[in-house]
Amino acid sequence: MTHADARVRTKRSWREEKHAIPFLAPALVVLACVSAYPLGMGIWQVVYAYKALARKNVFTGLENFALLFKDPVFFRAFTNSLVWTVVSVAAMFLISYVLATMLNSRYLRFRRFFRAATLIPWAIPGVVVSLTWRYMFLSGGPVNSVLSAIGVAHPPAWLTDPQLALWTCIIANIWMGLPFVTIMLLAGLQSVEGDILEAAAIDGATYLQSQALVVMPSIKKVILIVLTLEAIWTFNSFDIVFVMTKGGPGSASMTLPLYAYQNAFMYYQAGYGAAIGVVILAVLLLAVVFYIREVLQ
Amino acid sequence: MRMSVAKQVLLHVVVVLMLAGMAFPVLLLVFNSLKAEADIFASPMGPPHAVTWANFRRVLSETSFAVNLRNSAIVAFSTVILSVVVTAPAGYALSRFKFLGRTFFSMWLLATQAFPGIIMVLGLFTVLTTYGLINRLPGLIIMHTSFSMPFSIWLLKGYFDKISVEIEEAARIDGCTRLQSLVKIVFPLAVPGLLAVATFSLLLSWNEFFFALVLMRDNAHYTLPVYLARFLGSGGVVQWGPLSAAALLITIPVFVLFLLGQKYLVSGLTGGAIK
Repeated sequence: MTHADARVRTKRSWREEKHAIPFLAPALVVLACVSAYPLGMGIWQVVYAYKALARKNVFTGLENFALLFKDPVFFRAFTNSLVWTVVSVAAMFLISYVLATMLNSRYLRFRRFFRAATLIPWAIPGVVVSLTWRYMFLSGGPVNSVLSAIGVAHPPAWLTDPQLALWTCIIANIWMGLPFVTIMLLAGLQSVEGDILEAAAIDGATYLQSQALVVMPSIKKVILIVLTLEAIWTFNSFDIVFVMTKGGPGSASMTLPLYAYQNAFMYYQAGYGAAIGVVILAVLLLAVVFYIREVLQ
Repeated sequence: MRMSVAKQVLLHVVVVLMLAGMAFPVLLLVFNSLKAEADIFASPMGPPHAVTWANFRRVLSETSFAVNLRNSAIVAFSTVILSVVVTAPAGYALSRFKFLGRTFFSMWLLATQAFPGIIMVLGLFTVLTTYGLINRLPGLIIMHTSFSMPFSIWLLKGYFDKISVEIEEAARIDGCTRLQSLVKIVFPLAVPGLLAVATFSLLLSWNEFFFALVLMRDNAHYTLPVYLARFLGSGGVVQWGPLSAAALLITIPVFVLFLLGQKYLVSGLTGGAIK
């Protein structure tokens, strides 16, 4: 490349920037004000702690993190959050994959209707979803009345049993996530040519083999993006546990976002809440690096 | 390959069962909203023995539903408008121009999805307090807009990618300025994408709970999800009848608009945002 070429190119690209800036300006302003700046300010809260004696926030360096690693509730919330995310996303994937495969079948009649019906939970506000499922799992509620009817003598107390509370919330979360995952997987499946499947069948692949070895690899990108997104949302999610159990009984179903909220807004320990937030951010950054690599490829 | 008739029947049965399972909790909500309190626990699953509208009357006349509905409507409507206005040009720029920091901008957009709510809220307090926007609806509107931006910009970029540059150039040759060709040619072609963005940001804003809970400080400014959570939490025994009626009233508007917009949202998500 000659010197003149390089100069022409720089000039042209600057001309593009001059055009691009007015288009980008509003988005950049919003991003800077309510995404970049608050992120920095939020993280900065970590180095402060509210001291009752001084009645103000005092600079404490990294003390909040030191406290965090001695806090059993934090560890409980951390493990719960991992279980909550992994189980939810795995179950969403399995159920949605089966549903999407069936919705994609050319033998299914009323396909448009069924596909539209799949979307129902998507339009329901999270708080409404949460209280509906809280009702479902009440001690005298629908789930237990079915269990009694089929002869279970002592149906469990879903929301107040420390062994079950988190799992009950997970069920509600799975229900809420199904439409998005199903629709995305369905779109992926629709792009798979029928020929590939026929070829696999001729080669003697069983149904499960052809799904796992032929279909899934060819929609790998969609699967990865959807699952990563859903994992990020689930790890960050707040509504369901807040409404269904408030993290209880005790801290049996406590998750990190809820624990951070309680510290910051009920116990007035903003710095401690921020420290929990930083842990959440650290976990999610791993997921996000992965997600960005997939999307920008 | 043909599927046997038995398998075809099985396929339909399984699909119907799964979708019935997905719709069932919503059906229960409808039942409960029409039942008297005693009826709800006498038959937790069945349809109402006697339909009563008392729950709805109580929600509408004895609670602050109207005030919170107004807040939700203002916030959601403004978020939709602001989202479209902000993301359409940005999506266009991302699709058409090469500019310094383009990759960084895309990565930042994608990364914002993972920023923990708690960090954002703690940081926002500083910003919103400075500008006097704590406990003010505009603060929430800007917040919701920023949530809808990553997905919306990405989705619109996909739409603009599909609209050929030649059409624009032809318009320019015919004497349109860039702005005119945008407003008259490109944006009209992108209407399905803009409707997808509108549906997406409407759902997001109408349903958002955490920021509305934390940034608004009194009932005069709460949106409907916060109203509902407070209704659930207020005073001892939960009254499922009125609560279900309120939940249903909150769901119906967004549900209807979702039905109208889902076609665009689905094709936008599956076409623009992923591929």
